[in-house]
Amino acid sequence: MAVTRYALTSDPSVSVEVVSASLACCTLEVQAALNSGALIQVPESDAGPSVIVIAGTVTDALVPSVIELIHAHPGSKVMSFGACATSGGPYWDSPPVSKGIDQFVEVAAYVAGCPPRPDAFIQAIQELLSKRVS
Amino acid sequence: MKHSFIALIEDKCTSCMLCVRECPAWCISLDSHTIDVTEEGARRPRKVNVLDSFEIDYSLCMYCGVCIDVCPFDALAWDEHRALVTTNREDMLLGIVELGPSGSS
Amino acid sequence: MTKSFTWLQVDPADWRGKIGQLRNDGFTFFDFLTGVDRENVEGKQMCEVVVHLAKEDLSDSHFLYTHVHNELASITDLMPAAQWHERECAEMFGIQFIGGSASGESTKSLLRHESLSLPPLRKTTVLAARVLTPWPGGAEPQIKEDGRKVGNASRRRQLPPGVPENWLKQ
Repeated sequence: MAVTRYALTSDPSVSVEVVSASLACCTLEVQAALNSGALIQVPESDAGPSVIVIAGTVTDALVPSVIELIHAHPGSKVMSFGACATSGGPYWDSPPVSKGIDQFVEVAAYVAGCPPRPDAFIQAIQELLSKRVS
Repeated sequence: MKHSFIALIEDKCTSCMLCVRECPAWCISLDSHTIDVTEEGARRPRKVNVLDSFEIDYSLCMYCGVCIDVCPFDALAWDEHRALVTTNREDMLLGIVELGPSGSS
Repeated sequence: MTKSFTWLQVDPADWRGKIGQLRNDGFTFFDFLTGVDRENVEGKQMCEVVVHLAKEDLSDSHFLYTHVHNELASITDLMPAAQWHERECAEMFGIQFIGGSASGESTKSLLRHESLSLPPLRKTTVLAARVLTPWPGGAEPQIKEDGRKVGNASRRRQLPPGVPENWLKQ
């Protein structure tokens, strides 16, 4: 889990704190997006919204940790990144995998894909920011 | 070509159900009915399947492309036009209109 | 580079003996041990256990395999590296490895939930989600998704892959 503040390169006045929960392969796409140049890292501050990115397969054993992480960042928006976090994805029939994090937390944005492309992450961040700030 | 979307070319679909049955995520559903088409000179009417609804649940789809591979009529194709981001999980269920290829809309 | 692969079928009773002999002959590199569900071997529900042993310089290697029902002698005292593999094989294929050092805490399931009693990689284990989730492929132009028939549907409704016809209904 990494917490870093990012701003859109196209509009550096708005920044967002990104809490990335790296649970499986989708996290590579999140990392690719964070380092793509579309987002720039800005100094830590309390201002602006916070996004928790759940990227990867959430097994039943991991559910308490995911809930704990989300509770540790009150007011944060939850992004369900990829098919696994959204619905179980390719593991939809597997007994130890949870069938979507929206069963136990409120999700602000769903990103489709297995994995979603890095630009989908940027798009999701933009959409979350525009809702919060406008 | 970015493999970021699976589009449906409605006119080519014959409701054969192959994609629905091969999908490992069970994310495609299809509803259809059969009508009789009488052609001039034909001895008896021809049975034709009419597509009523076609849905891909993008919250489950793993973009494996099996449906595109198995489609004997090339009614499904890779498309690149959109990254799907929604605020509702239900909005990820796309029907015939939303699944249209990028050039069509 | 491995120059040659030798496949060798052994009797479960000779499993330890053969591996011990190979180890003494210089095949000291334990690569892996795993299971393959062969379902039906001469009419019996059998699981294959495969082990790959190689010379340290990888100049020669042996694949040993044996068919067992659900029990096999452990080789962890001969090849300590096999413990993790035996543990995984036990969890996923339901094969008990008798003797050896994999006991107590070290036999605890790695991934599987304790309450699931069936080994998930055996083909006889049906995934309940595939039975409980309505299969969209059951529909046809003359058969609706819920099984309702329209017109003169002559064909039987198809079953989803991986679900036996009368599962849990006997």
